[in-house]
Amino acid sequence: MSNQKKRNFQIEAFKHRVVVDPKYADKTWQILERAIHQIYNQDASGLSFEELYRNAYNMVLHKFGDKLYTGFIATMTAHLKEKSKLIEAAQGGSFLEELNKKWNEQNKALEMIRDILMYMDRTYIESTKKPHVHPMGLSLWRDNVVHSPKIHTRLLNTLLDLVHKERTGEVIDRGLVRNVTKMFMDLGESVYQDDFEKPFLDASSEFYKVESQEFIESCDCGDYLKRAEKRLTEEIDRVGHYLDAKSEDKITSVVEKEMIANHMQRLVHMENSGLVTMLLNDKYEDLGRMYNLFRRVTNGLATVRDVMTSHLREMGKQLVTDPEKSKDPVEFVQRLLDERDKYDKIISTAFGNDKTFQNASNSSFEYFINLNARSPEFISLFVDDKLRKGLKGIADADVEVVLDKVMMLFRYLQEKDVFEKYYKQHLAKRLLSGKTVSDDAEKSLIVKLKTECGYQFTSKLEGMFTDMKTSEDTMRGFYGSHPELSEGPTLIVQVLTTGSWPTQPAVPCNLPAEVSVLCEKFRSYYLGTHTGRRLSWQTNMGTADIKAIFGKGQKHELNVSTFQMCVLMLFNNSDRLSYKEIEQATEIPAPDLKRCLQSLACVKGKNVIKKEPMSKDIGEEDLFCVNDKFTSKFYKVKIGTVVAQKETEPEKQETRQRVEEDRKPQIEAAIVRIMKSRKILDHNNIIAEVTKQLQPRFLANPTEIKKRIESLIERDFLERDNTDRKLYRYLA
Amino acid sequence: MILCQHKLSRSNRDKLQQFVAITGASDKNALQALKASDWQLEAAFDMFYSQPQPRSNDPYSDMILAEGISVLCSDLQVEPQDIVTLVLSWHMNAATACEFSKEEFFGGLQALGVDSIGKLQEKLSFMRSELKDEQKFHEIYNFAFGWAKEKGQKSLALDTAIGMWQLLFAEREWPLVNHWCDFLQNRHNKAISKDTWAQLLEFARTVDPALSNYDAEGAWPYLIDEFVEYLYDKSVVEK
Repeated sequence: MSNQKKRNFQIEAFKHRVVVDPKYADKTWQILERAIHQIYNQDASGLSFEELYRNAYNMVLHKFGDKLYTGFIATMTAHLKEKSKLIEAAQGGSFLEELNKKWNEQNKALEMIRDILMYMDRTYIESTKKPHVHPMGLSLWRDNVVHSPKIHTRLLNTLLDLVHKERTGEVIDRGLVRNVTKMFMDLGESVYQDDFEKPFLDASSEFYKVESQEFIESCDCGDYLKRAEKRLTEEIDRVGHYLDAKSEDKITSVVEKEMIANHMQRLVHMENSGLVTMLLNDKYEDLGRMYNLFRRVTNGLATVRDVMTSHLREMGKQLVTDPEKSKDPVEFVQRLLDERDKYDKIISTAFGNDKTFQNASNSSFEYFINLNARSPEFISLFVDDKLRKGLKGIADADVEVVLDKVMMLFRYLQEKDVFEKYYKQHLAKRLLSGKTVSDDAEKSLIVKLKTECGYQFTSKLEGMFTDMKTSEDTMRGFYGSHPELSEGPTLIVQVLTTGSWPTQPAVPCNLPAEVSVLCEKFRSYYLGTHTGRRLSWQTNMGTADIKAIFGKGQKHELNVSTFQMCVLMLFNNSDRLSYKEIEQATEIPAPDLKRCLQSLACVKGKNVIKKEPMSKDIGEEDLFCVNDKFTSKFYKVKIGTVVAQKETEPEKQETRQRVEEDRKPQIEAAIVRIMKSRKILDHNNIIAEVTKQLQPRFLANPTEIKKRIESLIERDFLERDNTDRKLYRYLA
Repeated sequence: MILCQHKLSRSNRDKLQQFVAITGASDKNALQALKASDWQLEAAFDMFYSQPQPRSNDPYSDMILAEGISVLCSDLQVEPQDIVTLVLSWHMNAATACEFSKEEFFGGLQALGVDSIGKLQEKLSFMRSELKDEQKFHEIYNFAFGWAKEKGQKSLALDTAIGMWQLLFAEREWPLVNHWCDFLQNRHNKAISKDTWAQLLEFARTVDPALSNYDAEGAWPYLIDEFVEYLYDKSVVEK
């Protein structure tokens, strides 16, 4: 073997460049171009995807991506221009169909072409950042077809025309329209908005502007609202069927604006059919519709609420200031309750229990109830009527309902302290005459008042009940220790603690001997067990049951007041008595005596006494004797009236004065309380704070507050600041 | 003695007369006191009062009462109802009108920097001028309330108040003063509280007579609010 040299193998590059056939690119492109033509001509079945893909791939590989891309664009553009002409040529209804058809074709073609050019899509286009094939295809469609001058406007008008037809009752091809709107969306949201949605909204606006004007001239409010509601529903339906979902809010805004917002005032105030009419006639359905429609627009509900409020206030004001209506307190309050119920029902049925409406209603009631200064008195009288007889035989649950409603009215009162005063008076009369229908109902109401106003409001009222109970025990003890008194007249005493009961000045009166002996015995018995107390007989509040035998032997039991008893007993010793004699013997003050004699002598069916002359009024020269001819079909005859009545003018003044007097110390206490904690406070703030503190009881008058401040300055509780005269300082 | 008396200068004779009138001392004692204090009135008083004198249990013996004041006024050559007496009382911080206690009297003289009635008289025009000073008028006005009212009373009787107001507002013009006094006599008829008195000056000072800057929420006493209503009612002022 001979020596062999090792030789390294080297792979060398081609020593000569491989020259790509310059015609290569053209040739390849032509293949592809032809393929595109075939695709567009619906003749793609014979094509080999693999071959075409490879061709495109090679072009990109050999750096002919650019040629490929531009070629693609040019070819597609040319085709689209052709398609465009075909579409333009379509007549009438087939215009949209042609467009739709061509669009579908385009989409199929584009997909195929995109697949073929996929490599270019992912490499060349990526690196050059040019639009990808698919989006490019869409843009070309948009620019060459949709925005082609002969198509653009015609397309829009066709669509709008169809919408209009549908709105006027015709049936249209919804599917077709849906495809077109979907096409717009595919082309880009801005295309949808600019080329369709915005003009659509403008046209709709015009349409509804006209229609709403027509309706408002020809329909009443309820009808109009029905139609508006119908249109709204239709538009929402329309969007669901052939518009993009995002259009829903926009088109409903248009309808709301044109049909509702623009005519809000006119609708609400429409005579004989607007809001007020609906309220008066309890038109729940119409009201509910109005509520639902108006809540869609700015200030819609505010408008409704404001009109309701001013109507309510006006109506309420008329109600409470009408002298006819305030003749009967019970009716007056019942009317208020009825109105309250009515509005409650309206707000819950038609206004969805909307809190703002409830508040508006409440503030209106509060406003007008307080316009009548007698409201507190009347509400108390209403309660009095119910507790005396109105609630007789009513089930417990229903009683609660009535009392709760009364509490509702009570809450509206600004002068709760006035109510308290009257309530106390009326309760006293009820308790003392034993005329309450249900103890439970009474107690229940007191509990409600306590919950609402606190312990102090009701502590005295509760004291009254306690006194009644205690008195029963006292009576038992009295008769228990005086068994000899079981013969003879029966005395029933209620011992009232002065602070709890409404104050009455003690009226002088001479009791008949038999009675005064008994009373004295009671007095000593009571003071025996309660030293240090003082008793004074309230002769103007008592009652008596007297057995009487008249001229023809008629026997009756007369239920009378203490005064009446004193007068009647005189006739046991005299047949005839003059006014003066009666006055002297009984020592009852003249106005009370006259009232007493009137009730005994001048009331038909109750005239146990005869008067000469037979006039209605009691004169000082009159003469009296027993009416022997008195008859009544009842054995028991009730003559005394201790029933709570609407106050007379002078009584009203007096009560009002007492209330004002009671308020003064309360105001002062509030001022002192506030100043004690704040130490220094300016005038306006004191007024505000005091008013706020007293608001649960009554509305404090700023002038009165000022007077109290001055009084406190005078008494060295407060002083003015040296430098700022509007500041007050608390003096410890 | 008599000889000495004749030799008394006019001013010394005045002083003697003053001393006697005010202290009620005899001429002899007066002369003694004055001589001993070198005719310094104040020192003479001091000495006189510090000596054990036969005194009554009258608590007023250390006081100058109505009579003494009337003498004082005539010596000063002013009417007793001249407002300058108020200014004088203010300097003395007198507790109540028509009486000066010893401390008050001397305190006042000291405050004025005088030691004789003659010098006091010279100070009269100065005292009058003090009323024109805003701050001093304010103090004098407020002082006047406590001074003019009855001892032991909290409020000032209406008639007295009206008199004082007329006197005071003669010095410092307030166009509404007459309406104010009319209003009080017709509508109010009760005594004037301290706060009302003080606030009235503020009202006169700060609120213009046409009420253009009257603030209904201005924490004015109720009486003044009523007065404003009265002015509107009587069309003295346009609303």
